[in-house]
Amino acid sequence: MEYVVSILKKFPLTVFALVILTMPFWFPWIGGYGGLATKIMIWALFALGFDILLGFTGYLSFGHAIFFGVSAYATGLMFKHFSDEIIPAMIVAVIVGTLASVIIGYLTLKKSGIYFSILTLAFGEMLHSSALSTFGGFTGGENGLTLPDMIPSMLGIEMRGEVMFYMTAAVLILGYYIARRISDSPFGLILKAIKSNQERLEYTGIDVQKYKLGAFVISAIYASVAGSLMVVYEPYVGTEYLRWSTSGNLVLMSVMGGVGTLIGPIIGAAFMLYFENVLSVPLGEEWLLVLGLIFMAIVIFLPGGFTDGFKLIYKKLIGKKPDGEEK
Amino acid sequence: MSKESISDVMLDCYQVSKNFGGLQALNDVNLKVKHNTIHSLIGPNGAGKSTLLNVITGMITPTHGSVVFDDKPMLDLSPHEINQLGLAKVFQTPAIFPEMTLIKNVCIPALASRDGAFKLNMFQKEGMRSIESFAEETLEEVGLKDSVHKEARFLSRGDKRRLELAICLAHRPKMLLLDEPTAGMARHETENTILLLRKIADRGMTMVIVEHDMNVVFALSETISVLAQGTIIAEGTPNEVKGNPKVIEAYLGEEQE
Repeated sequence: MEYVVSILKKFPLTVFALVILTMPFWFPWIGGYGGLATKIMIWALFALGFDILLGFTGYLSFGHAIFFGVSAYATGLMFKHFSDEIIPAMIVAVIVGTLASVIIGYLTLKKSGIYFSILTLAFGEMLHSSALSTFGGFTGGENGLTLPDMIPSMLGIEMRGEVMFYMTAAVLILGYYIARRISDSPFGLILKAIKSNQERLEYTGIDVQKYKLGAFVISAIYASVAGSLMVVYEPYVGTEYLRWSTSGNLVLMSVMGGVGTLIGPIIGAAFMLYFENVLSVPLGEEWLLVLGLIFMAIVIFLPGGFTDGFKLIYKKLIGKKPDGEEK
Repeated sequence: MSKESISDVMLDCYQVSKNFGGLQALNDVNLKVKHNTIHSLIGPNGAGKSTLLNVITGMITPTHGSVVFDDKPMLDLSPHEINQLGLAKVFQTPAIFPEMTLIKNVCIPALASRDGAFKLNMFQKEGMRSIESFAEETLEEVGLKDSVHKEARFLSRGDKRRLELAICLAHRPKMLLLDEPTAGMARHETENTILLLRKIADRGMTMVIVEHDMNVVFALSETISVLAQGTIIAEGTPNEVKGNPKVIEAYLGEEQE
C-alpha cells in the first residue's frame, strides 16, 4: 500500500496518464461506454480549470458556464458557417472565451466573497437569456444550435469514437500537466496566498487584482477548451451549456472531489457523470435524490471531498505508522 | 529651511488631517522620520496613532495633507505600490498566511521583491531554490529556523509576530512600520522582541513604532512623538519627552504605564 502511494507521489502525471489512456479497456467493466468516457474527459478538463480559480484563490464563480457556453456557440457557429475542421474552430472559440473572461473578470473581481459569486451568476444569467432572445438568430434560440449531419474532423480525420476519445484524453493530460506546473510555480504560490490572506498579500507588495484576473482567465481558457471539445464530441449546442445549472454542476463536482487538489475535481466530474449515466439506471427515478444525499454526506463528513476520504482510508490502512509529510 | 535636511528625512507627513464624519482624528499632523532611526509614536487611546499609520500605508486617504516617502509622494498609491517603494507594515494582530508553511510564508514577499507587483511566471521552478534559501536565512534571523516546515497556524502568538517580521524583512524594505509589536506578549517575549528589533535597527533599518508599553518605547526609541487628540503635542528624545508637562497631562488618568 505504501509502495503504491509512493509511486503515486513520485510519478503522479505518469499514473494519471496511464489511468486515462487505458480507460477504453477498463471502463466497460464497470458499466461505462466509450462516449461517456469522452464526456467525462471534457467535464474533467472543465473542473480542473475551475480548481485553479476556486481551489487556489478561493474565489467561487457561479458563472463559469459562460466560458463553456460562449466557446461552445463559437465552435458551433464556426462549424456551421466556416468549415468542419476543428483546429480553426477551436482556436476562434478559445479566443472568444478568453476575451469574455478578461472583460467579465475585470468587472467582477473587484468584489470578493458572496458578492463575486452573485455578480458572476448575474453575468451568466444575462448571457443565457440574451442567447435565447437577442441573439436567438445566431444561437437557434430555445432549440439550441443544431448542426445536422455534421462530423467534425481534424486534418481530414473524422473526430468520433476512439479517435475523439484519445484526442480529448491527450488534451486533458496536457491540461493536468500544465495545472500541476502552475501549482508548483511562484505564480501558483501567490494564487494560494490570495485564499490564505489577501490583505497581507497586498501589504507584501503584490498586485492582487492582476493575479486574480490571471487565475480567472486561465480557468476560463480551460472552460473554453472544454466547451469547444463538447461541440466537437457532439455537434450540437444546447442552451443549457450557458445556464446556471452548468456552473452549479461544476461547483458540485469540485466540492465532491476535493477543492484545491487538482485531481479532486477530476474525480468529482468522473463520479457525477458516471452516477448520472450508469448508476442512475438501477436507481431509477430516485437517482437525483441519492446523489443529493451523497453530496450532503460528503459535505458533512468529508469537507475535503473524495481526496480527503482517500487520505483517511490510507491512514487507516497503514495503521500506527506516523503521518509522514502530507501534501 | 528644511531644504538642507531633506535628504536626511525618510518619511515626511506634512499637515495631515483626517475627519471621520464629525470626528477629527488627525489635525495638521507633521511628522518627520529620519534615516536609520527608531521613531516611536505614543499617545493615549484614541489619539490617532493607528489612523496616522493607516494614512502612511495607504489604507486611509487623508482629508488633506501630504505624505512623502523617500522623496516620492505616496497619497495616490495603493498599498502594494507603497510596499514596493520599500515600506513594510507589521500589523497589530499578526497577519500571516496561516495554512502555509513558514518557508512559503516568507517566499511570497521574497518573490514580490524579486518580481515586482505582478509576474506571470507560471511554469518556473528553478528560481525557487535561491528564493527558498533566502527565506530560510530570513527565518533564521528572527529565530524561527527550527520550524521552517511547520504550518504557520500552529505557531505561538509571539512566534507568529516573529514570522510576520520575517515576512516584512524578506521584502528588504527601507522602513518598517510596527503597530504595537509587543501587544499581548509575556515579559520574556517582549524582551526578546526588543533585542530582535534592536538587532535589525543596528543594521541600518529605519522604524516607526506605535506602542503602548513604555518600557519598549524607552528601550528602543531615538525619537518619540506624542499624539493627543489628533495633534502632536511633544516630540524629542526619550528624556525630553519624559519630563514634558504636556505629556504628563495628556496621560493623566488615561493609563498608568
